[in-house]
Amino acid sequence: MAGLLLSGTYDAEGFRTCSVTGLRIHRDVERYVKLFALTAVVALLIGGISAIFVALTRWEVIGLADPPAFYKWLSIHAWNLLIFWMVFMEVAILYIGGPLVLGRPLPTPKLAGIGYLLMLVAALMINHAIATTEAPDSAPLLTSYAPLPSPPLFYLGVILFILGVIIAALPFFITIWQEKQEYPHRTLPLVSFGAFITSIIALEALLGGLITYIPTFLWRIGVVEHIDAAWYRQMYWIIGHGSQQINLAAMITVWYFLTHVVGGAEVVSEKLSRTAFILYLFFINMGAAHHLLADPGVHMSWKHWNTSYAVYGAVLASMIHAFAIPAGLEAGRRKRGFGRQGLFGWLWSAPWGNPVFSATVLGIIMFGFIGGISGVVMGQTQLNLTWHNTLGVPGHFHGTVVLGTTLTFMALVYFALPVLFNRDLAFKPLARIQPYFYAVAMGLATIMMIYLGVLYGVPRRHPSVMSFPGTDFSFAAASPLFAIFGVAAILALIAGASFLLVAVGSLLFGKRIDNPALVMPLLISGGSDDQPVHTYSMQGTLTLTLIFLAVFAVIYIVNWYLLGRLWAIG
Amino acid sequence: MSSPLKPLEGNWWAIPTSRHEKIWVWISVVWGLILFGWMVGWSFFGAQNQHGPTYRIEPAAYRAKLAAYREASTVTEQGLRPAGEDVYIAAMRYGFDGLPVILKAGKTYRLHLTSYDVQHGLSIRPEHALSKQVTFQLLPGYEWVIPMRFDEPGVYHVVCNEFCGIGHRTMHGIFIVEE
Repeated sequence: MAGLLLSGTYDAEGFRTCSVTGLRIHRDVERYVKLFALTAVVALLIGGISAIFVALTRWEVIGLADPPAFYKWLSIHAWNLLIFWMVFMEVAILYIGGPLVLGRPLPTPKLAGIGYLLMLVAALMINHAIATTEAPDSAPLLTSYAPLPSPPLFYLGVILFILGVIIAALPFFITIWQEKQEYPHRTLPLVSFGAFITSIIALEALLGGLITYIPTFLWRIGVVEHIDAAWYRQMYWIIGHGSQQINLAAMITVWYFLTHVVGGAEVVSEKLSRTAFILYLFFINMGAAHHLLADPGVHMSWKHWNTSYAVYGAVLASMIHAFAIPAGLEAGRRKRGFGRQGLFGWLWSAPWGNPVFSATVLGIIMFGFIGGISGVVMGQTQLNLTWHNTLGVPGHFHGTVVLGTTLTFMALVYFALPVLFNRDLAFKPLARIQPYFYAVAMGLATIMMIYLGVLYGVPRRHPSVMSFPGTDFSFAAASPLFAIFGVAAILALIAGASFLLVAVGSLLFGKRIDNPALVMPLLISGGSDDQPVHTYSMQGTLTLTLIFLAVFAVIYIVNWYLLGRLWAIG
Repeated sequence: MSSPLKPLEGNWWAIPTSRHEKIWVWISVVWGLILFGWMVGWSFFGAQNQHGPTYRIEPAAYRAKLAAYREASTVTEQGLRPAGEDVYIAAMRYGFDGLPVILKAGKTYRLHLTSYDVQHGLSIRPEHALSKQVTFQLLPGYEWVIPMRFDEPGVYHVVCNEFCGIGHRTMHGIFIVEE
């Protein structure tokens, strides 16, 4: 372990030059990026094991866990994947977007270490608290909705985890400060800018988390007598949804990074891509309102305004990225002379056998078509009534966080293995197909969840829906879809395990490579002519995005049709 | 070279944008306006809007209201037949107080919704069409009054879809809608 983290040769100032990206990387930056990323992969393993129990309980033909065990496994699943896998990776991304891309040393590496330790201890506390939950406490799931009590140790763990993340983020903020002090007239690179926007969104979410969990902890240990359910929901979703917006912004930042280094993408419009990030900064947090659309006490006009991110400000941002990233690939590859012929020559000629590239692009496609569209649709005030707390909701966020962010972070690990860990990929044929295998299996499982939720009204967070005591009513009609879901989930688990096998196998048995440029294609320095990138055709991208819009419109209309058939409400 | 890894110098804001990208941005702006316009419009011309006042109320006070309502209603073997337009329902671990209830098709009722203990979900669908499902979040301390009119007679099943404890999965209730 120590060998993995400390490998590499550095000059007298502690820097080395990366042969793939051309970036100057400082020793401390590299070590902490590796440490946070490796810890994230461990969380992925724990979360993946819990996924077996969650998926195979919901597929009641197997019915693996009894209700108390199911709720614990579901909580472990949520916290390790939605929080620990994501957040440890995101701290690594901040260090990549900040000091690594800017070629700076890591300021105050001690803070990074303290932040890391605090996060690690807190993550262990939270897992322990969940595993040992006993009455009168309930397993917290992700949301720990007051006034249903969770174990006191759980709330304390969450508070410590939040503090740990804030401390771990400080070296990033100091880096940006130092960079701007040194070069006041230089604009941050787009990847650093994206990481900076991510960090601000993160800080807002984390402060919201402290506002939520400190009073809730005090209530749980009896210092505060009463906790209001509506207050909790308003406050909790600042971090509950905000943390998912961190995933979004971090993921998009990684998209710009990886499509560039392995696909030869360029930034087609700095102006628009940065404007899109700024739109996120102003509007994305309003998305927390998505969780309150079926709530009492909140007026319809409040719901409309907030759920739409003030008339779709953040959706506009996502639509801009949805064009800018493939367009960057199209124009960048055309410029470099790859597949200049036809509408999609740039795409056919892309390095589809490289898992860094395929996982990134599959992440982009699956996020947009499944996670993105379902999110906007279920986030319409009235449509939400038909989605709220059905299995369609986990369907949606498996489309965003799993098919989008997890695939993207897997790509980042595939990239880091040769480039930062200096290890050639082990089990190469498996690594080549893993992103496709995972995307298809997980995609199918996700679509089944959405169908089960929206077309059968199957509730989420239920260990059994095939029978209810004292009534003949059940969701047995949905059994065929559950069967497809179950099989797809098992395949997705195998695909997820394949990723871990490649990652861990490469670290332990991968051939040591001192020059990763030999195994990663060098694309960033190409470019046969000097025409500005915005002058190349982006017609292929426009075609693809118009197909996306057509699918979006059809799904939108179908959902309103389904709502319109219901009885009169309101 | 326009790299996302290199700092920018000079006036990069002035670099023109490609025609294709501009087209897409304008399409996106219009699409956002359509999404917003339709959603807000549905509040005026649509029949399904979760619109209704909310009142603060202590669970004990709501229990008293529900008891008075039950007193005024006709109690049958199948369930409560409300005397007027008001229908009182409260979720609790692990059941629904006030259900089963017998309603008339085509008549508009005011549903008063709350919870006695923790957060719950009121997820309703007719027996014959599982896809016709809606959910309302029920919070202790808040009474939400939403008008509803069921046009199709039949049995409507209610389950809780907010995790409320170990017995969560057993919660079930019924609306009977008669001609």
